[in-house]
Amino acid sequence: MISIQKLDYYYAVKKQPARCALSDISLQIDPGTLFTLTGPNGGGKSTLFRLLCGLSLPAQGEIRLNGLDLQHHAAEARRLTGVVFQSPALDKHLTLLENFTIHRDLHQLPQALFSSRLEEDMAWTGLAGRLHERVGTLSGGMARRVELVKALLHRPKIVLMDEPTNGLDPGGRRDFLQVIDRLRQERQMTVLMTSHLFDEAERADQVGILHQGTLLAVGSPSQLRDRLGQEMVVIQGKDRQQALFLSQLLEKKPGLSIHHRESELRVEGIDSATLNNLLTDHREQFQTLSVKKPTLEDLFIHLTEQQRGHSS
Amino acid sequence: MMQAMVALSKRELIRFFRQGHRVVGSVAQPVLFWVLLGSGFSASFQAPGYPGLSYSEYFFPGILLMVVLFSGIFSTITVIEDRNQGLLQGVLVSPAPRMAIVLGKVIGAMAIGLLQALFFMLAIPFLGMDPSFANLLLLLLGLVVAALGFTALGFLIAWNMESTAGFHAIMSVFLLPLWMLSGALFPMEQAPVWLESIMLVNPVSHALVLIRLPLYHSTEVLLANPDYLTAFAIAVAWAMGMLLLALRQIKRPDCSAPAPTS
Ligand SMILES: Nc1ncnc2c1ncn2[C@@H]1O[C@H](COP(=O)(O)OP(=O)(O)O)[C@@H](O)[C@H]1O
Ligand SMILES: [Mg+2]
Repeated sequence: MISIQKLDYYYAVKKQPARCALSDISLQIDPGTLFTLTGPNGGGKSTLFRLLCGLSLPAQGEIRLNGLDLQHHAAEARRLTGVVFQSPALDKHLTLLENFTIHRDLHQLPQALFSSRLEEDMAWTGLAGRLHERVGTLSGGMARRVELVKALLHRPKIVLMDEPTNGLDPGGRRDFLQVIDRLRQERQMTVLMTSHLFDEAERADQVGILHQGTLLAVGSPSQLRDRLGQEMVVIQGKDRQQALFLSQLLEKKPGLSIHHRESELRVEGIDSATLNNLLTDHREQFQTLSVKKPTLEDLFIHLTEQQRGHSS
Repeated sequence: MMQAMVALSKRELIRFFRQGHRVVGSVAQPVLFWVLLGSGFSASFQAPGYPGLSYSEYFFPGILLMVVLFSGIFSTITVIEDRNQGLLQGVLVSPAPRMAIVLGKVIGAMAIGLLQALFFMLAIPFLGMDPSFANLLLLLLGLVVAALGFTALGFLIAWNMESTAGFHAIMSVFLLPLWMLSGALFPMEQAPVWLESIMLVNPVSHALVLIRLPLYHSTEVLLANPDYLTAFAIAVAWAMGMLLLALRQIKRPDCSAPAPTS
């Protein structure tokens, strides 16, 4: 279980006031949950991740991992946490086995336990035959799997991962996420990962959207999507001019929510009469018109526009 | 604690030997120094207190010291590489005692320098010196104590550096002069007074005493020599101090900047 209470974090910036990277973050992640922290780059995901790893300390607030306060019980908390960083934490000059052995010694695992776990976990990586090769010879996808095996050798109850699928091709991403999902169910692990890709977050039990240091929304993907109502219509105007025209036309109808960006319109709450009207009378003004279920990205766009609306 | 420390030092050594250029460079540099400087100064050289000493011989302890200091310190540059590659973060999130992490790096880096020094000690009989076995052990002990302190200093400096270039810069304006002003290159007695006082507070000078004296004096004389004992005490205190500073450093996580008051 991960519990975060009223966390603030600032970066010192030369000759300027400190930059707020996280502001008033509170979060409760239940045991066994796959939680994905998403949002655009610069939102504060890695900052929060480093705080959760105990690599940095907040200006205010508290983090507890399975009830252990990170600031005062760091060593105990580290014992039950497995970490996968965005950049590889494997030594390229060493073999796979040498890397694992260092991890064994850092965690003081008995040799017998180490061997049996290693055998068990190397089986699903498909790399069992390469234990004596240097890590530098592995492809990006293989290295990620090895990284995960290493992070799980001490059988952590909590797994923290910062952009773990970064640099993988789409197939590699899917495989990696599937493995995570299977392992955390088998081993009852609480997993917190970050990803700037909204579609990766769709696979999680719970999602948090982090933007400019604040949590915009937290909930299951379906709960979050429901906030946008059922469906939305995306209209690609012929050009900006036409899109603007359509936008002004639709604004006259009551009860519609319209997001206008470049030559694209996203319309929520459209009724079939209006839709018909568009298709018959305004076919010349747009290139494509599609009806789609809202995604987390749509919610993000919706929430940030709402924010902008409030502040202007 | 031991297990983690041994694992981390072993890693340093494996990495070193797998990077061929580091092995070649670490042997070639001191050999070049010794040959070039030794032949340049030799004709005019007179060391007070050591009549008839050739410059190559006078310079030998300085070279031994240079090997352990420079090699140890420059091996701690891997702290910066480790951080940039993410290896360091991987170790820091483990439950290993922080002192094991410091010592793992420092002892690993130090061992690289000691191996090189052992290689250079093969030259001792050819220089006409004939230290006893006990003296050789004292010499080794001196090298270990000196290397510990300065390698820990390297760790401290590397920890606060973002780039390896910055580390090189600091080392060449700081460490190289300290070594040159230690009596390694020329005897302290010939230096002007202001220089002599710098030499006295220079920790490298005391380390040099631990290496030079065992080559010439018997064990009994050494253990009764106040200069030697003082140098030893200072070197041990220096090593302890540096290790504790390194430990304090690594224990402190990156703290958030304070909230701006507005
Ligand atoms: N070392 C740093 N110094 C100053 N600002 C930083 C530093 N690291 C990150 N930031 C700033 O903090 C904010 C959050 O960054 P980060 O946590 O890396 O976001 P994310 O991982 O979501 O991309 C950004 O505005 C970034 O510019
Ligand atoms: Mg990031």
